[in-house]
Amino acid sequence: MFEMTTLVIPTEQRRSDEESLITENKMTNNPDKNIKTLGIPTEEEIKQAQIDFAPRCTSAGRVNDKETQKMVQYILNFARKHSLFVLAYGTGCGAIEIPATMTSRYDAERFGIRGAATPRQADVLMITGYLSTKTLKRVIRVYEQMQDPKYVIAFGSCTINGGMYFDSYNTIKALDRYLPVDVYIAGCMPRPESVINGFIKLQELIQNGNAGGGKCYRDNLDWYRANQQKVIKNWDFPDKYNW
Amino acid sequence: MQKHILNRLKKVFKVEGDIKAPLRIKIVADKDLVSSILLYLKNQMGFIHLNHMSCVDWIEDNKFELVYIVWHPEQKQTVLVHTFIDRDNPVMENIDTIWDQANTYEREMREMYGIEFPGLVGAKEFILEDWQEMPPMRRDFDTKKYAKETYATRPGRENARDVRKEIMKRSGEELPEFAKKYSRD
Repeated sequence: MFEMTTLVIPTEQRRSDEESLITENKMTNNPDKNIKTLGIPTEEEIKQAQIDFAPRCTSAGRVNDKETQKMVQYILNFARKHSLFVLAYGTGCGAIEIPATMTSRYDAERFGIRGAATPRQADVLMITGYLSTKTLKRVIRVYEQMQDPKYVIAFGSCTINGGMYFDSYNTIKALDRYLPVDVYIAGCMPRPESVINGFIKLQELIQNGNAGGGKCYRDNLDWYRANQQKVIKNWDFPDKYNW
Repeated sequence: MQKHILNRLKKVFKVEGDIKAPLRIKIVADKDLVSSILLYLKNQMGFIHLNHMSCVDWIEDNKFELVYIVWHPEQKQTVLVHTFIDRDNPVMENIDTIWDQANTYEREMREMYGIEFPGLVGAKEFILEDWQEMPPMRRDFDTKKYAKETYATRPGRENARDVRKEIMKRSGEELPEFAKKYSRD
């Protein structure tokens, strides 16, 4: 189990892990020289250790094959789907259903759904209700600050086709033109049961590896940007989307 | 009491007015008189609270109607001061020296109707952001057309068509009993 999890982490980090492994092993091998090996190992020692312990850490044949990747992805998806941190950000009237969903009667936390204070910590962005162009600008900024993997749940009929604000001069219809939406929850307003139902649908998508909103946004950035700029008149966003 | 208030206002300012409801007095005054009437109501007659300021667009008469609602907290009386201004050149006296809260209402009216208040302090943008069209609450602004041109609609849902039957077919469900009476057809 330990071997598999170490292989998922990026290469730079892996190197430092190897070093720590080396020092540990040296300690056990030479009980008399414990104090010396606690310091920084010399280059020769590192080279020797790399030769000694290479198969254990970077054997492509044994651990990096497809089966193992599948297994690792399964575990990662399992962990992701049971720890959905929802950004505490409410737009429109739908935010009033969120406290009811989170608190004791419906208790969304039993599914691993809970609030997050900042976009950097959050996985899920909920668009609760109608979205004016002024808010859309903020929402896009918030979404771009979130870290991968990130998901969007659109809430209420206003985000689907405009709802009762279909002829408003200041609210958008069809949210998926501007942000990649993973799950739509229909209704005006959706009750907490349907909110939880939507979250469970999202969990299914995550488990199957189908919830790829962030990747979709990165790949089709030009299309999304063109749509956003059509609505947001005074465009003062950073040019590059690099996180 | 109401008659007394109305007669006093009529005597001092020579305005028209009548009693609309047991606690409501309506006065129609000239544009230039409004600020002095409001000052008189506040300082001399005890109407110390400005409830609301609003605007009505009478596009047929080419006029804007401004309504100032003031309130007497002890006598529980309301006075509505109506005035008409020209729609092509909408300029109105600024009254935020009398009540500070008038500033907010005036900024909103400037944004939503394009009424100018000379000497009004505050940012040009109040609620809207980057608005480049005519003020949106004017009646000659076509919101439906603007929304259609600017915001993309979802294909198949451009109008208020009843799509429940198609959804029923697609999902294989039946319409519940209670929902049948709400048909749009």
